Formats: sequence, C-alpha cells, structure tokens
Amino acid sequence: MRDVAILGQGLHPWGKFADIPVTQLCRTAVEAALADAGIKWRQIEAVAAASSRFSGGKGWGLNGNDIVEDMGSTGIPVYNMSAGCAAGANAFNVGHMLVASGQHDIVLVMGGEKMPKGFIQTSGLDDVTDPEFLRQRCVGLPGPGFWALLCRQRMAQYGTTEEDLAAIAVKAHKLGALNEFARFRQEFTMDQVLNSAMVNFPLRLYEICPVSDGAAAVVLCSPEIAKKMASKPVWVASSVVATASFDDGIPRHLACTIGKGNPHHSEARIAVGKAMKAAGIKPGDVDLIELQDNTVYYELAFPEEWGFIDPGTAEQWVAKGETMPTGKLPINPSGGFQSFGEATTAQALWQIVEVSSQLRGDAGARQVPNAKIGLAQSLGLGGNATATVLRV
Amino acid sequence: MSTETIESAEGLFAATAEGPRLLGSICATCQTPYFPRSAGCHNPDCDHSNMEDASFGPSGTLWSVSIQNYPPPPPVVCDDPFQPFAVGMIDLPEGLRVLGRIVSDDPDSVEVGAAVELVLAPLGKDESGSEVISWQFRPV
Repeated sequence: MRDVAILGQGLHPWGKFADIPVTQLCRTAVEAALADAGIKWRQIEAVAAASSRFSGGKGWGLNGNDIVEDMGSTGIPVYNMSAGCAAGANAFNVGHMLVASGQHDIVLVMGGEKMPKGFIQTSGLDDVTDPEFLRQRCVGLPGPGFWALLCRQRMAQYGTTEEDLAAIAVKAHKLGALNEFARFRQEFTMDQVLNSAMVNFPLRLYEICPVSDGAAAVVLCSPEIAKKMASKPVWVASSVVATASFDDGIPRHLACTIGKGNPHHSEARIAVGKAMKAAGIKPGDVDLIELQDNTVYYELAFPEEWGFIDPGTAEQWVAKGETMPTGKLPINPSGGFQSFGEATTAQALWQIVEVSSQLRGDAGARQVPNAKIGLAQSLGLGGNATATVLRV
Repeated sequence: MSTETIESAEGLFAATAEGPRLLGSICATCQTPYFPRSAGCHNPDCDHSNMEDASFGPSGTLWSVSIQNYPPPPPVVCDDPFQPFAVGMIDLPEGLRVLGRIVSDDPDSVEVGAAVELVLAPLGKDESGSEVISWQFRPV
C-alpha cells in the first residue's frame, strides 16, 4: 500500500436550491475540485461516488454514473457506495483504496444530494416486516425523538442542562456565520435558541439540523503526483469504515439487548478507534474534529465515547470555549451540521473537505491555529460509520 | 356506533391470563432475548441459533423518556387534535431495552428511572377511523 494525498477539493454551497438539478450541484463541486487539483476531467481514472436514495442516480443510486455522463464519458470505472449518511466517506474509503493499492493514480470522490422537505422518514417503506416502519407505526418516534431520548438519558446521568445544549448551538452558529459554504450564516443568542420551538424535549428547533442540498468533491492522487503537482498536499493518514457491534446499547429498531459494556454508537467508536490506530496517533495528537452533529447532543457524547475527554465533562469543555478553533479540542470549526443542514450522502465528504481546508491553513476566520492532524467522522443508517484522519 | 379496534401490528403483543405481554424470542443456546420474534440468533458469539418463543413484561424501568412535541407524519398514529405524548426506552428485567409510548395525562412529569408497567392501550385513530391499540408503558 502506498500513501495517498488530496490533490484537489471543491464544494457547492449548502442550502435549498429548488431550481438547480442535483447534477448541476455536483458539476460545480467537481469543476472546483479539478481546478483546485490543476487537472482536466479526462485525467480522472476512476470515480467513487455516494449513492443517494433521494436525488439523481436514475433511482438506483447510480450517482457516480450521472457525474461521468455529465462531465463526459471516458469509459472509466464507477463505484457507487450506499451507506446512508456515511456514504460520502464510504466512497472516500473506496477511492483511497483504489489509489493506495496502486490500481489508479488519480481518482475522483463525489457526493451530491437534494433532500425532500421535512425530517427524514428513515426507511420510507410501508411494510410491516420493516423495523423502521414498525417503530413509527407501533410507537411513533421520528428521528429527532430518537436523538432526544439519548440526550435526556445524558441529562439524567450527568446533569446536562437545557442551557448546556443551547450553548453548543450558539457556538456552532458563531462559526457557521464565518463559513461561505454554510446554509445558515447568522449568529444566535442563548435566548434565541432557548426560545426556538421545542421539537422533542429536550431538543429545540435550533439544536437539531434540518435537511439541505449540497455537493462535495475530492481528487485523490499518488505520492508521485502529489509531490509534482500539489503546493500544499494533505495526506490521508487513515480511512476506516465500520458497522455497529452486537452489544450496542441503543435500540435501533424496537429493542436491543442490555448487556456488558453496552457502548453507544458502537459503529462510530469502532471506526474512530481503528482510524486513530491506523494513523498511529492518540487523542492528544488531534488538532481538530469534524463530527456528525445531527443534534447538539453529539458534540457532548462523541468526544467522550471515543476517549478524547472524560465522561460527563463535555459540557465544561464547551462552556470554557475549549471546543472553539482556538481551544484545546476544536470541534466542528466549520459550523457543523447545525450551520449546514444535512445533505445526507454528501455530508461526510464535505466534512473531509473542511478538515483538509483547515490543514492547508485556508479556513480564514475559523482557522484552527497550526492544525496538522484532523479527524472527520460520520454515522449512517444501518449501523454505518466512517472515520478519516488527515495530516500535513 | 362502535369503533373498530385494530392492533398496531400483528404478533407483537398479546393480552394473556397473566396480563399484557410482548411476544418475542429467546435463543436457548446463548439466552439472548429478542423483540419482536426473530427467526435466527444475531449474537456473533453464539455458534448455534436455537430460537424459542418467549414473552416479556409487565415490569420495567424508564431508561430514558422524551416528548413528541410536534404532530408527527404518518404512519405515526396519535390523538386528533394532536396532544404531545411521551415516548420512552424501557429496560426490562429479561435483558431487553424496548421502545414504547408512555401513557400519562402529564407527559412532562414522567422522569427517567421511573418504574413502569406494560399496558395495551390506544395510540389514536388511523386514517380509516379505526382505533389502533399498541403496547405502551404506564408509570406505576
């Protein structure tokens, strides 16, 4: 296996773009990535793309094929990766392998999404053999309610307050306001967050992420090409895909077993643990984290579950400003999902682009000073998770 | 005029002589409980799936609780006009953490750690006007 570098990257801003087809969002991101890499489309040797169930892909998740047809068919291989909201980094993992293995020297990784209105109905199936359908039909628990249950458990365990939660939203929007690619670019006060509509107690409207449209693209290349062409190469220290473990203590369907350990979000913990090990780093080595904050709760839970900080202390880290770009553990300097909204299958790749921008020193007013190593993490339906470590 | 009553899903719960029960399975080899019923054991450390029918309930403890504060879209069934309701994750002594709606006139007062009991109660009426019964949990 050989080293792999990010040669170029591009984004279409996140937002709601009723009049722009998803293919056009993707083209904007791809053209930006090609320009950043200093290459032409016909130099791309393979495409790894996130599969969407919501937009494009001919209804079969063939989103990579849409890109190839639009940019110009050259006969290259296309891999369409389906992993729910983890799909973007799942595609990145395949793109990484294609270059690391020596099979290809220049590979495009791609994720683009246009989301329907409203909260995601997780499966969308109307089928009594589908556990997601049964969860809605027999109990009634849309996605935000699921997050709220986990958050309320934390409140009972550690004394997390509604103000602790609101403080994370305030912090997220302070950073999102500085990000030209974010959908929501206004700051909120504590009062504004606490006065936003209660969705599922204890989570309010400004503490959960809505759905958005957006697209992200990354060009990966061999070390030889990186040394020749990249002015500031960012290296892939590790790229890991994982799924949940049987002892996980969160009921994903109607029930789970209560056993020893009972880790939460085991798929994310496994992915991050393996990625750190593969990169040969410890939590203290990580200069910034882009984690999947569908709700503010995750900014509290994930750093603890991964062993970055002690259980029950995350609220203090936030209150002291340690999760800001200038703190000891910068989390989501992009503004996070709170500021972007989730363009589901594009989201994990956007996180990687953000980490790469930070390591290049291109993040402007939200720059993490002297960032050398960054971690991006995603979580998707079906017990999918990814973790990617980048370094300069 | 009587209202037709239907189950939220078939084969998931029953009113027995001992009271309401959830219908699931247990693997006789590794003792892992399942709800709903499972045709095979999912425990990767179990070498021989040996599934038997099992029933669970009625006692449990609230591991967590939240409030559904906005009217959820179908196929969720709820009161019309909408009334916020509580939903919980309930730990059963049989070793299962189960989802269930919470029966309470004051959902905001339901606390994590509360003792609850299994009941079969209406969720509301579906699109055809039938009253939909499901398993729920009531603080005791």
